[in-house]
Amino acid sequence: MLPRIAPFNRTGFARTVPELGLLLLAILVLLEGSVLPLGAASTPETNTHGEANRSGAVEGHSNHTKKAFPVLSFNYESVKLPFEISLWVLLAFLMKLGFHLVPRLSGIVPESCLLIVVGLLVGGLIRLAREEVPPVLNSKLFFYCLLPPIILDAGYFLPIRPFMENLGTILMFAVVGTLWNAFFVGGLLFAICLIPQTPVLNIGLLPCLLFGSIISAVDPVAVLAVFEEIHINELLHILVFGESLLNDAVTVVLYHLFEEFALVGSVTVLDGFLGIISFLIVALGGVLFGAIFGFLAAFTSRFTSHIRVIEPLFVFVYSYMAYLAAEMFHLSGIMALIACGAVMRPYVEANISHKSHTTIKYFLKMWSSVSETLIFIFLGVATVEGPHEWNWVFVTATVILCLVSRVIGVVGLTFVINKFRIVKLTTKDQFIIAYGGLRGAIAFSLGFLLDEHHFKMRNIFLTAIITVVFFTVFVQGMTIKPLVELLAVKKKQEAKRSINEEIHTQFLDHLLTGIEDICGHYGHHHWKDKLNRFNKKYVKGFLIVGERSKEPQLIAFYHKMEMKQAIQMVESGGGSKLASAMPSTVSMQNIQPKNQAAPLKPKERALPQLSKGREEEIRKILRTNLQRTRQRLHSYNRHTLVGDPEEEGIKDLILKKQMRIELDRKIKEMANHLTVPARTQDSPTMRRARLASGRNTDFIPAQQQKGNKNSSDPQSFTVKPSADGVPVIQVDLASPQSPDSVNLFDETGQPAQNDDQGLMMKTKSSESDKRSEKDDLRDQQKLMRCLSDPGPAAEEDEDEPFLP
Amino acid sequence: MFLISVSAAHLLRLYERFQFLDKDNRGHLRPEDFEAVLELSENPIGDRIVEAFFKPGQETVDFPSFVRVLAHFRPTEKNRNRDKGQPDPANSRTRKLKFAFRLYDRDRDGKISRAELLQVLREMLGMQVTEEQLQSIAERAIQEADLDKDGAISFDEFRKVGPLELGSAFILLTVRHLNDEVSSLSYWRSG
Repeated sequence: MLPRIAPFNRTGFARTVPELGLLLLAILVLLEGSVLPLGAASTPETNTHGEANRSGAVEGHSNHTKKAFPVLSFNYESVKLPFEISLWVLLAFLMKLGFHLVPRLSGIVPESCLLIVVGLLVGGLIRLAREEVPPVLNSKLFFYCLLPPIILDAGYFLPIRPFMENLGTILMFAVVGTLWNAFFVGGLLFAICLIPQTPVLNIGLLPCLLFGSIISAVDPVAVLAVFEEIHINELLHILVFGESLLNDAVTVVLYHLFEEFALVGSVTVLDGFLGIISFLIVALGGVLFGAIFGFLAAFTSRFTSHIRVIEPLFVFVYSYMAYLAAEMFHLSGIMALIACGAVMRPYVEANISHKSHTTIKYFLKMWSSVSETLIFIFLGVATVEGPHEWNWVFVTATVILCLVSRVIGVVGLTFVINKFRIVKLTTKDQFIIAYGGLRGAIAFSLGFLLDEHHFKMRNIFLTAIITVVFFTVFVQGMTIKPLVELLAVKKKQEAKRSINEEIHTQFLDHLLTGIEDICGHYGHHHWKDKLNRFNKKYVKGFLIVGERSKEPQLIAFYHKMEMKQAIQMVESGGGSKLASAMPSTVSMQNIQPKNQAAPLKPKERALPQLSKGREEEIRKILRTNLQRTRQRLHSYNRHTLVGDPEEEGIKDLILKKQMRIELDRKIKEMANHLTVPARTQDSPTMRRARLASGRNTDFIPAQQQKGNKNSSDPQSFTVKPSADGVPVIQVDLASPQSPDSVNLFDETGQPAQNDDQGLMMKTKSSESDKRSEKDDLRDQQKLMRCLSDPGPAAEEDEDEPFLP
Repeated sequence: MFLISVSAAHLLRLYERFQFLDKDNRGHLRPEDFEAVLELSENPIGDRIVEAFFKPGQETVDFPSFVRVLAHFRPTEKNRNRDKGQPDPANSRTRKLKFAFRLYDRDRDGKISRAELLQVLREMLGMQVTEEQLQSIAERAIQEADLDKDGAISFDEFRKVGPLELGSAFILLTVRHLNDEVSSLSYWRSG
């Protein structure tokens, strides 16, 4: 489109891309501003027109005048609502796009700020164009449409382990911290109102406390938006973010409590007591609802093996139902959503197809992205709209008190918490936690929900809330990044999770559990271990389909890594002839769960023919195994969907390409035999990557249907007959990380060397002795042929035995 | 070995546990006594843990040794005075890492060979995977960690694996209540 042409257009008006981006933005804003008044203007028109028509028709059929048939007519009314919604969404997207075209700006200012500014602009334009601004941020829209996607995204991809490990701390901050904030701010504001000097402000204690409870909650949307860009270490991220999620329960209870009581006018001790009980019910009830729906979703996903297409829908619909059900009972919808997502995830991921998984991931990220953008824009628009009542004292007092109470709260709580924590929170950590307590749209919406008749000071509240939100988002949001740099806070570890970590983490878990048992102490690890056992024994078997319920986590992780690597290989070597000429064959028996009794014996060298029954077996194996590997998403960062191979280092890819070329050269040099390894690594995944475009996941190449084939033909690069001991030639692309880059065995006595470029060649001298000459020769020739083959197409003559 | 300060109350609970395990009141424990701990039999690396209590070649473990091993699991003190004269206390990070390393490296040759790693994986993953898968994983793990390409993981490589992650995991290599009981034992010298 236009931005892309710009660089080539030397003499054009907009010479550079950023300029063009800004121009585009301006155009869109104007468009937005102009369409809406147009909509409003046309409404009365169509109405009167309609009336005229009706009255005309009523007068009698005989009276209707003959008008020219309307070739082109304009009817805005019927498409008004969807049209406006789409226009807003489009605006949101184009804004986001525009920001990324101007990279300098997005480096300094967090996106949320820019979006609010855009909202202000749009709101301003609309106000100029016509009298009133549409009430875009009405609470219903916010709570039922805009908020759930963000929370679901957060809950589904919540990193469970750090969350659980720090749960105590998070709960302390969320519950006690929020309570403290609410009472501190509310109480002191009331005290300020009592001071006779303050200009006309008679707000009662309860409304003040209500205000305090609205303003005290840390907002997950704002936190997400800002923290995503600063990449701090996982601990701090999960603490602040977890707090923002869990304080919803407290907010809900306090809000309803004070709202009720503010109307009544007084509170008794009993009410306080009921409030506490209510809190427990709200929180635990929300979690319970979420868990129930999560299990239902997991259970449903067990049966979807035949209708893969609608699998993502289950995830979304069940989660949304959980949210709505919780809201119905005035329970905490956010907690329900989090619980639902977190509970269903391990089971659903084990059951659904890879494509569904990708769909879910992308849809969630997309929706939450749109929602977040829209929320900030609407915040800007709503600011312009008002209604406002500015009161210097109240507003400044609010802002100052919020900051102060946050700092005091965090410091005080940390002092207590550190007594129980193993990894203590340092002063730096405390500062970041305090500084990261951003308020956002939830506070505004809650304020908006207040009934105007009962709360005459609603406007003052709204103004104050907006000021606090603006302050936190702009000032704190913009300065947190340089502060993080300045204080040298630990950043997120960019290191990829390695298999070693997985192994050692599990090992440590077992070790600590064992030590706890020896000490006779039933601690944290003991219960975690018990839960895992229970999960493995009963729950997994119930909720996960078929054999996957027995797959240990380590294996799944390993497969995922191999697949990622394989995809990377395939994509990086995409255009090169070499890559496509190196199919890898599959030795299916290595992927199956351990059904056969004996491990693979290297001795057996028989090359059986492919029988019909075997073919069916192979097809079945293909089908089951193609669903195995999954890509787990570790990132909860919306801006970078980590895991795409293209995004990883280019240097690596170049290096690998070089090594592959090296490999090719070396293979050509080698005139000797090949033996078969006893193991396989990423061949199924490589093949999967290649077959990714298949309609069904079964890919049966043409030659497979033919009667007798030479089963060890390397060009039939799907499955080999999975007899035991079938020699499988496996050519793995060379890489320093692949365990078995090339399984080429040299029998003429050249020892296996580690090539300086990372080729791994291993000798298996014991195996090589037992091979027959004939086989060796054939295999070797096959390999040569396979390497020189230009493409993976199944050819007619390929299954002729290439024997002289 | 000598201790600098001991509070009887702290040690009491551990001693009670020791006595509970020592059914015949012999004053020392043998490997069979650990079987009284039922959950250990379910633990994949249960026998390794038990083995760690016994010094190589010894059949029994007395109470001081019992405590010494458990002292590894106290929380690390962050601002320890690093006196040159004193050896690291049992709960320092290095010692913890060393302890865990020894659990992998059963033959105590200072390296985790492929076979040893394979053994660990076999124990942890049990009968659910094929031999080939285990070998692949072991191979890959060694590849990732092995910097000097000798086919085994030495202690230094072990430390470097998964840079800070593993280190901080070892900070977490603690059992909370041991802090109370063994807090005064930080001056035990480990053998």
